[in-house]
Amino acid sequence: MRYPFGQQRQRWTPYLLLLPGMFFYVMVALGPSIATSFYSFTDARGISGAPVNWVGLDNYDEFLFQGQAAKDNLDHLKRTLYFCVAVSTVQFSLGLLVALLLTQGLPGTRFFRTLFFMPVILGVVIQGLIWTLFLYPLGGPVSEVLERLGMYSELLGGQDAFWWVIVVQIWSNMGITMMIFIAGLQSIPTEVTEAAQIDGANRWQNFAHVTWPMLTPSVNTNLLLNIIGSLQAWQLFLVLIGYRNGTQVLGYVIYAVGFGQTSGSVTTVFRQGYAAAASMVMFALVLVIGLSTQYILRRREERLLG
Amino acid sequence: MNNIMKNHANTLGAGLLQRVRISPWHLASYAILLALTVVYLGPLLIMVNTSFMTTREFMRDATSIPDELQFENFSEAWHKANFSQYMMNSLIYAGSATVIYVITAVFLSFPIARRYVRGWNTLFTLFVIALFLPPALIPQFQLILNLGLYNTRIGYILLLVTNPIGIIILVNSMKSIPRELDEAAAIDGCSYFRFVLTIIFPLARPAIATVVVLHAIGIWNELILATIYLTNQDYYPITRGMIVFQGVYGFNWPVLAAGIMIMALPMVILFLFLQRYIISGLTGGAVKG
Amino acid sequence: MRRMHAFTLVFVLILSLVMGIQVQAQDNVTLRVLIHQHPPMVEYMENFSDAFTEKYPNIKIDLSVVNANDLSTVTQTRLTAEDVDIIDVFGFSNSVQPYMKGATPPNWQVMIESDLLLDLTGQSFLDYYDPVAIRDSGTYMDKVYEINLGRVIYSGIYYNKDMFAEFGVEVPTTWDELVAACDVFKGEGIGCMTQGGGDGWPIFVGAYGLLGSLFPDQAAYVEGLWTGDIKFNDEQSLVMWERMKVYAQDFMERGASGIPGDAAPGRFAAGAVAMYPAGSWRAAQIDAAEPDFEWGYFPWPGSDNVEDNQHWFGKYDMGWSIAASTPHPEEALLFLEEFSLPENYQAFIDAVEFIPTQPTAVLDSHLGEEIAPYLPNFLVGYEQYWVTPTGAGQWAFPYASFFEPFNEWGDPQELANRAQADLQTGLDNVSSD
Repeated sequence: MRYPFGQQRQRWTPYLLLLPGMFFYVMVALGPSIATSFYSFTDARGISGAPVNWVGLDNYDEFLFQGQAAKDNLDHLKRTLYFCVAVSTVQFSLGLLVALLLTQGLPGTRFFRTLFFMPVILGVVIQGLIWTLFLYPLGGPVSEVLERLGMYSELLGGQDAFWWVIVVQIWSNMGITMMIFIAGLQSIPTEVTEAAQIDGANRWQNFAHVTWPMLTPSVNTNLLLNIIGSLQAWQLFLVLIGYRNGTQVLGYVIYAVGFGQTSGSVTTVFRQGYAAAASMVMFALVLVIGLSTQYILRRREERLLG
Repeated sequence: MNNIMKNHANTLGAGLLQRVRISPWHLASYAILLALTVVYLGPLLIMVNTSFMTTREFMRDATSIPDELQFENFSEAWHKANFSQYMMNSLIYAGSATVIYVITAVFLSFPIARRYVRGWNTLFTLFVIALFLPPALIPQFQLILNLGLYNTRIGYILLLVTNPIGIIILVNSMKSIPRELDEAAAIDGCSYFRFVLTIIFPLARPAIATVVVLHAIGIWNELILATIYLTNQDYYPITRGMIVFQGVYGFNWPVLAAGIMIMALPMVILFLFLQRYIISGLTGGAVKG
Repeated sequence: MRRMHAFTLVFVLILSLVMGIQVQAQDNVTLRVLIHQHPPMVEYMENFSDAFTEKYPNIKIDLSVVNANDLSTVTQTRLTAEDVDIIDVFGFSNSVQPYMKGATPPNWQVMIESDLLLDLTGQSFLDYYDPVAIRDSGTYMDKVYEINLGRVIYSGIYYNKDMFAEFGVEVPTTWDELVAACDVFKGEGIGCMTQGGGDGWPIFVGAYGLLGSLFPDQAAYVEGLWTGDIKFNDEQSLVMWERMKVYAQDFMERGASGIPGDAAPGRFAAGAVAMYPAGSWRAAQIDAAEPDFEWGYFPWPGSDNVEDNQHWFGKYDMGWSIAASTPHPEEALLFLEEFSLPENYQAFIDAVEFIPTQPTAVLDSHLGEEIAPYLPNFLVGYEQYWVTPTGAGQWAFPYASFFEPFNEWGDPQELANRAQADLQTGLDNVSSD
């Protein structure tokens, strides 16, 4: 594009000025991410002074193929996918529903909007602690209600823990999905929906054939953010239940292997080369799912909006 | 007479119809919203309620309303959790990292939005793929270590001055600033640097405000990097302080709840004041995908 | 003449150098000490550090406290960054034995092999300590790298003396007696046991006593699992699993899975349950919760034979090591020396209630009385010997917390088979390398 601020020497100014931002990004984010791939081919422990040797594909072999541990890793992978599907579908649908409800101009809309977005700004630690309290087994609100109904659940301590983390994850992040949909809905000109109404379309037809297609950009953004976000999310697990057999997701496994898991006084050995290999496996998963989602959504967007 | 009224009702806009009649849709909407409100407000209210109890009341019945409001919980939490210091730390981290980030980000986003640099598409893609990148915890660690910045405030802040999503939001919003402004300014003899600084910054204010809020909130609530890189208690941000506090007070929920409320307060206030920026920013930027 | 000038110059230079070094030695030094969160110990360390600086005004102590769960990570990273002088390490354990093929060495061993820890062999303060303790918990390849400050027991059961008396229950000495005792309490509507299931590990650590009473030689147990002489689904192991199930489902009170670890002592002290299978370090917390509470401590009676139920199982707990990279080795050694002086060490023991590793120190407290009868039968437990073979599955551990309601297993035989299968793939994996 034509640059109006001068030629020759002055032409370089934009390049120079974007360097700091680019420098930080490459040094702190992009570079280390790429370096993870190199680490995955070593047996780095993460303890300084320890010798670091090139081991080629050994880490990958161990993670994916060696013994029962590899089968456990595949379970972690499956569980991560499970988590992603459960969270994404509910979060997406709920966010859409709430956004639709809150764009009708009902009184109290602003209150609801603020309330539902509140968890997002409170952050992972507070989200986790709020729900730890809410699910307190010795007389907390949920356990009280269950008792009145004659039921009992171990809540976060037992086998339902994984489901509860899903619930908290959805609770915490639905607000973002909702906001993006609200923004998308507000950008649809009212004349279009009104015209359809006058033409005799009922509510459902209006939504399906007018609103929904025009919402495609926000749908795409939300789907992508939801899916990738829930594939990579694990910090709620840390705060709510800790590292427990049968509940681990890939992100947590990587952290635990790389930086050690302590139970009681015994800490598992640090194995950062191995953790890097696990990171690459997760990267591959995210890449495949993310790119295919992108592709499908792009095609659909072209079809619908031209 | 009836016909006239019916016509009247039909020809008026849908908005009036909504105001005049209470449709079943509205009832259904409120029912759903009410149910969700219980789910959202419930846990929050329980936290508030607990923060005013005594420990004994809590052990007896965790869902009872306290007889009197125990404000001592808050002062105990404030002192025991060393909140003043940790909050100051969080402010330092969020403040400095956000300022550095926003300035570098605008100078990064503008030329991409305007295509003033060759390879703008590649640059932009580098940020778009950021979502997909493998976790970089381990090489980051080696980097910070070798720079001698381990367990320093600067090292921690350094890790917080990037945010690809912000770049995407800024680029999208800057595209809608009219190009003629650039040319007009150039004709007037304004340099690129001065132009961006004095014209673009103010014009992109909504998007910048959004990015500022999102970035600052992200840093305020950040936990993992702080755990790894800040081992000196004097440097702890508020998230670390809270986890440590929970480790000691984990069973003393009333005081813990009071501490959580203190920690959440700044973010809530910030959000309530800056709501419209966030929304308008999301309208402008993220929707385009 | 010129030569005189030269000599004078050199002499002055050397003199100033020497004086410079002298001045340097008396400059202020700060020792960075890293410890884990344990309120009685932290309090003692704060007092000790103040007293130390009073005695040696040029040495200041910079004390960092981290959660016990974070200690290992923070230690690694700070050692790597050369950002610490004295570190708090648990007794050396889980080293790779000759029969363990392809096992990954524990973190502390890598630290030593990477020259991160200072060699303490020959230091005078080592003489204050029991040589067996030094050998078992602080030595590697005949060199000393840690002075261990005490042992703890994790296999005992606290009991509510008043409650036992009220219902006429005697301290159980066999498995059947324990079951009967629990039945009495549950019949009265009182929970039998509690523990901090919310933290995960307290449940299975609380059953280490059961494990130990069925396999008293824990070193041999670990070796047996590795060589195949002992299997997770052989007869004796099956007894263990069945009893673990009873422990998890019948003994533990409902809701234990959600109780935070630090809330359990308070629940026990408040009389919610009759017994509390926990480590000796909880005694101080029980007393802090209810100072007048009458409690006792007895070994886990997991076996049918009374003689098997008379051991204490535990580990070497906290100890000091010095970072090899420290710029102040003299001062760091002085710190350890001062700490090891018998009068100081005794004060430390009084504060934290460890089982002393100095022969002159005495654990003179209620806990000391309770553990004294079986103290000669102290043995290091499974947790300190076990190394997992690479490739083993996640169920290859004798953990009571695998049972419902804490996790997914209901049938002891099925769990036993699965545990063995998980272990076997690991063993097969390493033996094929």
